[in-house]
Amino acid sequence: MPRGADQLLLPVNPLFLWLSLFAALLFNMMPLGRIAAMPDLLALVLVFWNVHQPRRVGIGAAFFFGLLMDVHQGAVLGQHAQAYTLLSYLAITMHRRLLWFSLAEQALQILPVFIVAHAVSLVVRLLSSGSFPGWTMLLAPLLEALLWPVVSWVLLAPQRRAPDRDENRPL
Amino acid sequence: MPLGTLDRRPPPFFHQGPSALTRLAVFSAVALFLMAADTRFAVTRPLRAGLAMLLLPLERVLEIPMQLTHASGEYVGGLHQAQADLAKAQLALTAQSARAARVDTLLAENTRLRALVDLKPALAVKSQAAEVLYEASDPFSRKVFIDRGASAGVVPGAPVIDEAGVLGQVTRVYPLSSEVTLLIDKEAAIPVLNTRTHQRSAAFGADGEAMELRFMAGNADVKVGDVLQTSGVDGIYPPGLDVAKVVKVDPRADSSFARIALVPTASADGVRHVLVLEPMAMQLPARPAPEPEPVLPKGQKAIKGTKK
Repeated sequence: MPRGADQLLLPVNPLFLWLSLFAALLFNMMPLGRIAAMPDLLALVLVFWNVHQPRRVGIGAAFFFGLLMDVHQGAVLGQHAQAYTLLSYLAITMHRRLLWFSLAEQALQILPVFIVAHAVSLVVRLLSSGSFPGWTMLLAPLLEALLWPVVSWVLLAPQRRAPDRDENRPL
Repeated sequence: MPLGTLDRRPPPFFHQGPSALTRLAVFSAVALFLMAADTRFAVTRPLRAGLAMLLLPLERVLEIPMQLTHASGEYVGGLHQAQADLAKAQLALTAQSARAARVDTLLAENTRLRALVDLKPALAVKSQAAEVLYEASDPFSRKVFIDRGASAGVVPGAPVIDEAGVLGQVTRVYPLSSEVTLLIDKEAAIPVLNTRTHQRSAAFGADGEAMELRFMAGNADVKVGDVLQTSGVDGIYPPGLDVAKVVKVDPRADSSFARIALVPTASADGVRHVLVLEPMAMQLPARPAPEPEPVLPKGQKAIKGTKK
């Protein structure tokens, strides 16, 4: 059970898992305007669950969420789906190795995955005659990697609760 | 600690399904197919409309926090803003009132003159107001979504304007919402008429909040400050709507075309209410069907201009 070795985790609550994905989708759909450097929270949460629960959240789920993002943004159908599929595949291939490292080292290793995903969507969009959004888009994968420890901490918190709670450990 | 609290089921050895690489290949192929189908054929339209209907309630709910923050900001600085807006509106009204007074006279005169020379009466444009739901956060394109769709009679290709001028064109229609591609999107194009020289040309979206006038000769008569309006020859936009203003003319030596930068009249940011017009082509009479070719016996050639 390679979890950074210091703590045993409770089993994941599937409801929490899907709710977190749904919340990330909602965050991505917030009408905040066009910001090229906006981190893709949905991609981040998808990668997180692909790494931690690859048997529950797989490539198919990533594909479906990608389709939803495509429709929401009015993009070519399949563009986000393609990027998320690739993201999910890379996450699943590295999930056994990644969890042996500390959170900061994990973030460093997950950075190339996000860069590849953004590069794929950039190439697809420029091929289908989109306009170049500006160099600040390079910040997006960086921000996503920086958010990795935060997201890991938040999303693993329910599994870190005490298995037998008493008044000293209510949570 | 009770048993079963830890997630220690062994992974299944045999029922793992297809490998991750296989799934990647399958889903990538589906994604590629969807991209091709979406740009070339119309087969993905029902899928897209269905997903859009699914997402619409979420989009409507997500609007609420944005409206609340907007409203609270207005509440704090509201009075000054309102007074400034009022002063500006009154100035604009004064400037327009003289013109507005003449419009009725001119309209009547125009109708009389048109009747005199036996022209068809000018087309009246049907319009309906719509509200902008949200702006697509996609950094690669410029699109907004409005709250009127096929159920309200919006058709693909309909022009969308705001109070300043042409904003864009409806590109996809869902049952309850539609997607408007703005003029500054790279894929947008609009036929325009230079109001000073009455020269027709085509304006295209360009990178970075701007438009450009393409295919104009290096020595073309275009000056900074020229106002471009819709020409009305396209069968979509009614004539005489403001589109853009020329901000820079660069007659390039290395090319036979000049580089002409435009700034659109309608600002794309912060637009809340728009007007969806009916495409002009829907009001024009249908084209007469071509006359059937006369059937000739074999071996005989049709001779043009001969009569029986």
